[in-house]
Amino acid sequence: MRSKHSTLTWVDKNRIFLLFAVVSIFMSLFAPRFFNVFNLTAIMKTVAMNACVAIGFTIVMICGQLDLSIGTVITFAGVLGLVLKGPLGYAVSVPVAIAAGAAVGLFNGLLVAKAKINSFIVTLGTMTILQGAIYTMTKGNTVSLSTPDAFVVADFLAKPLLPLVTPRILITVALVLVAEVFLRRTRSGRNFFLVGGNRNTAWLAGIKTDAYIIVAFVLSGALAAVGGVFFAMESSAATLKLGDQSLMYVLSATIIGGTAMSGGKGGVFRTVVAILTLEMLYTGIILFGFGNEVKIFIAGLILATVVLYEAYAVYKHEREVGKRPELVKELEAAAAAKTAGSPRR
Amino acid sequence: MEKAVAKAAAVDGRSVGSNRLGGIVNQVGIYGVALLFILLGAALQGAGIINNFLSAQNFFNIIDAVALLGIVAVGMAFVTYSGHYADMSVPTTMALTGIVAVELLSFGFVQALLAALAVGLAIGLINAVVVGKFKANPIIWTLAMNYVTMGIIRFVWVNKQIYPDMKTDDKLTVALFDNIFRYRFFNVVGLPVVVMLVMMVLAHILMTRTAYGAQLKLTGSARKAARFSGINVDKVVGIAFLLAAFTATVGGLTVTSLSRVGAWYNGAGYDFRAVTAVVIGGMTLAGGRGSIIGVMGGAFVIGLMNNIMTLLGIGTFSQDMIRGAIFIVVVGINAKSLRSLGRDDA
Amino acid sequence: MRQVGKRFPGTIAVDSVDFEVYAGEVHALVGENGAGKSTLMKMLAGSFNDYTGQIFINDKEVALHSPSIAKKFGIGMIYQELSLAKPISIAENILAGHLPHKGPFVDKAAMRSAATRLMAMVGLDLDPGLPIEDISQHEAQLVEIAKVLGTNPCILVMDEPTSALSREEVERLFTIIEGLKKRGMAIVYISHHLPEIFRVADRVTVMRDGKKVGTKDIAEASREEIVQMMVGKSVKEFYKRRERTIGDVRLRVRNLSRWGFFHGVSFEAKQGEILGICGLSGAGRSELARVLVGLDPMDSGEIELDGEILQGRGMAFFLAKGLAYLTEDRKSEGLALRLSVEDNTLSAVIPSLAKGIFFDKKKGAPTVEQLLKELSVYPPDPNRTVGNLSGGNQQKVLLAKWLAGKPKVLILDEPTRGVDIGAKMIIHEAVERLAEGGNTVVLISSDLPELVGLSDRVMIMRKGRFIKEMGYEQCTEEAVLLAANGEETA
Repeated sequence: MRSKHSTLTWVDKNRIFLLFAVVSIFMSLFAPRFFNVFNLTAIMKTVAMNACVAIGFTIVMICGQLDLSIGTVITFAGVLGLVLKGPLGYAVSVPVAIAAGAAVGLFNGLLVAKAKINSFIVTLGTMTILQGAIYTMTKGNTVSLSTPDAFVVADFLAKPLLPLVTPRILITVALVLVAEVFLRRTRSGRNFFLVGGNRNTAWLAGIKTDAYIIVAFVLSGALAAVGGVFFAMESSAATLKLGDQSLMYVLSATIIGGTAMSGGKGGVFRTVVAILTLEMLYTGIILFGFGNEVKIFIAGLILATVVLYEAYAVYKHEREVGKRPELVKELEAAAAAKTAGSPRR
Repeated sequence: MEKAVAKAAAVDGRSVGSNRLGGIVNQVGIYGVALLFILLGAALQGAGIINNFLSAQNFFNIIDAVALLGIVAVGMAFVTYSGHYADMSVPTTMALTGIVAVELLSFGFVQALLAALAVGLAIGLINAVVVGKFKANPIIWTLAMNYVTMGIIRFVWVNKQIYPDMKTDDKLTVALFDNIFRYRFFNVVGLPVVVMLVMMVLAHILMTRTAYGAQLKLTGSARKAARFSGINVDKVVGIAFLLAAFTATVGGLTVTSLSRVGAWYNGAGYDFRAVTAVVIGGMTLAGGRGSIIGVMGGAFVIGLMNNIMTLLGIGTFSQDMIRGAIFIVVVGINAKSLRSLGRDDA
Repeated sequence: MRQVGKRFPGTIAVDSVDFEVYAGEVHALVGENGAGKSTLMKMLAGSFNDYTGQIFINDKEVALHSPSIAKKFGIGMIYQELSLAKPISIAENILAGHLPHKGPFVDKAAMRSAATRLMAMVGLDLDPGLPIEDISQHEAQLVEIAKVLGTNPCILVMDEPTSALSREEVERLFTIIEGLKKRGMAIVYISHHLPEIFRVADRVTVMRDGKKVGTKDIAEASREEIVQMMVGKSVKEFYKRRERTIGDVRLRVRNLSRWGFFHGVSFEAKQGEILGICGLSGAGRSELARVLVGLDPMDSGEIELDGEILQGRGMAFFLAKGLAYLTEDRKSEGLALRLSVEDNTLSAVIPSLAKGIFFDKKKGAPTVEQLLKELSVYPPDPNRTVGNLSGGNQQKVLLAKWLAGKPKVLILDEPTRGVDIGAKMIIHEAVERLAEGGNTVVLISSDLPELVGLSDRVMIMRKGRFIKEMGYEQCTEEAVLLAANGEETA
């Protein structure tokens, strides 16, 4: 009986890889100018920046929480990084920006774990506070640098050492690798899953659940800041809209990649593959000649479909819970006896 | 689990809440807080720090500013009361219905409004089914819906701003649309305010004096128990989302008319503002508790707060920061005072 | 045998209880629902940081204020409600908190083999990488047991471990217990299934209303004695039968099935009759009740009420026809704890009190007041938050809720679970009054004295089927219990 389900379950479990294969093949074959260095570099660039953010966001979701503030943290860190670069140089401004992101994460984590306020509320509030802070800092203007050395770091990060492999990508890959290994193979990493799967079970097993949740949010904040700094340095300008679309993007990718909002499952690697897939899809759409609007629409549609799918799966599962196996077997035997003239198996 | 058992052994009699501030807020009510703000404003004016606070003109300014928020918050309140936190698709519902109305003005004023209503209710219906029947996470789903709707708006209208006179040559229709929400009863009370008051009265009646309201209260407070009492919880929750979409539509028409242009950004930020008004007004996120009167008070307090901050010269964006902080604080206090009864997911 | 003992008086729900368990012994702890068995053991598990009295392990006093402390002292608890994390794999659940590791990295191979080994001890042969949500309920229960065994306890407490297990699995469990005994583990076995107790335990302690009634060696005890100790007064004395005229058949159920939950159930219930339904948990009683009131859909069969075959769907339809169901778990399924007594009492009659779309709470006020008086709810305040009432009063409010609709057939599911004696009596009287009024009552209860004392007839359910019906004269607690367990009386 289990084998009947296992093909479907396997497909479901590995859906992101299948999607990735489908999309990449489709795009390579049909989208004009897809498979060239320029396009692929652009894709990898965006992916690298969003992947960083997604790492932290995925960890938070594995813990069963939600961090809506990442978009604004990205913008905040980007702005901070640039604003402070003038007087202090990148060597200082970047760590400061990352620390700021971590501080926001700490704030979020403390409120969620200790004050026990719903993470939706906390991060919605932090998001609003940060929006105000950003506007206050920039007075509504885009921050940009025009000094000669403005692009130095960006150029360095963007310079391909091998075709398509830039230092930025290397950094991202390194982070993803470390995160994935940590989550899959270390005890502390596995504990995140347990905290998300059933906080009570984790607590009973002696795990400090509060600490894990706080750390998850700190990581989310810090990594969002890293992403923001990447974004900002890229064009040496930080617009106020820098991180706006990232929330949806990262949220979609995380859920599509298989990390459930209920917590306890998923993975960073899958999320990143999802980001890659989505980015290929979006770029392909543009290359086909559709505008940005189509992209936004498709992005929303994909997220909506995935959420609906997950909800429906839970809905069906709930109807099966509690059945007595003997009775079910009886039914199947009776049905088999009816349909089969001769005994099978 | 064991914690709850141990606590249960200790709870008896009435519990006021483990922190006194929360208790005070609950007792005094949101109107008490409003009074405090008024006193604060008066004090600041008396001290010469701000001017013009205690004037009729200022008072009406506040009410006007609050009207739109109040309209949207009423519908949002139903969603929160049902225990489903919030409807995050409100901003784009507002924008879409507004822009649809302008676009279709050539078919006539009333027809355009009806079309907008149809669109808004369609969005509400989708939310109702997905969250009510299939029990998707309301925040994530409505966020996704928001995104999809934004995509639709951008797809059809790109970034364009649609002016009423672009869409129809009928001067009457244009004039109607541009000015209807500017109409002032007795030259003083704007139509949006009247609409808000009417909606609040109707909503309050709906919540407190109808069968639906009673069932909604049970559903929000204890969904499982409500279901086991013969209440069709899927339908009850679904209707709440329809109501939220309805008020979002009215709000969208209002804001579009007042700004005289249909655009994708109409309605931005109203998800957060409406939830804040609802929560500050005493409706907890856990559901089943609070009232429309409280929500009205919440909107009013936000209006007062904004007004005082503006008079104090605090920039809009700094105000955002303060609003965000207050939001967290209020929810936190609410959560603490509820936890003594064992319900800690506010 | 070395003495591994715990001796402890306790807190309010448990009143000055002394209890001991020796290494290598299985000590059964029995009592009615609400007698305090679980609470007593929770003290041992470290769930409370405020118990009175003392606990000694190996003659040394210990302060068990948290689960981790309890675990350190080698106390393992197997709860009735599973404490497993659903999306997480079996292996990680079993070894939670002490995953085998090589340096900072988890040793997957060691984890799998350890998990497999522990599962083998309980007779499970599953892939340890499967998540809990993919295995069945009773497999999960066995995983729970394996998990506790993995912590190498020296004192093991099992709370109703067999509720979801089949016959063969129960046998296997007993074999495991035998093995653990030989290894010197001290086992406390909480249950109210007497046959099991007599099979597996060495001694038995009976609790009632938070107090210890007595401890006896199994060899020296008889079932009647144990039952007597559990109940207190003799059954016949406690439930004075009142004369009731039993009328025509009101409810007729034919071949009712819900696939996978119960099959082919048929029975009749008459006006003025109290029909008891007995069975072990998992037999399908509550599932049957839910289908009878339309909460769950039926897959085949007919329900006929007063001659009319009910053709609707949804609970509202069945409620309107006069069928009502008082659910098992008042806290999560029955009452809205944060709302008032009045709100709760009227919660099932909103449609019938409503005029059009309008509903005026005040119209229901007299009904509420009358019911509160009838059931002696204390304090009789309709605005009191239900969550603040005592268990007994909460249950009364729950009963009031269903009485408010004046049902023709009221199905009660464990109506006096966790309720004090006084409230219990009041509830029973109310039930009798309902039947006297010509209505039908279906009583699902695992409280045997209650079941046997109140019912006119008893139907036995087992594994999703009705197997037997017993009339009043045949109904003794023992007979009923045995039948429910699948054994025959002599």
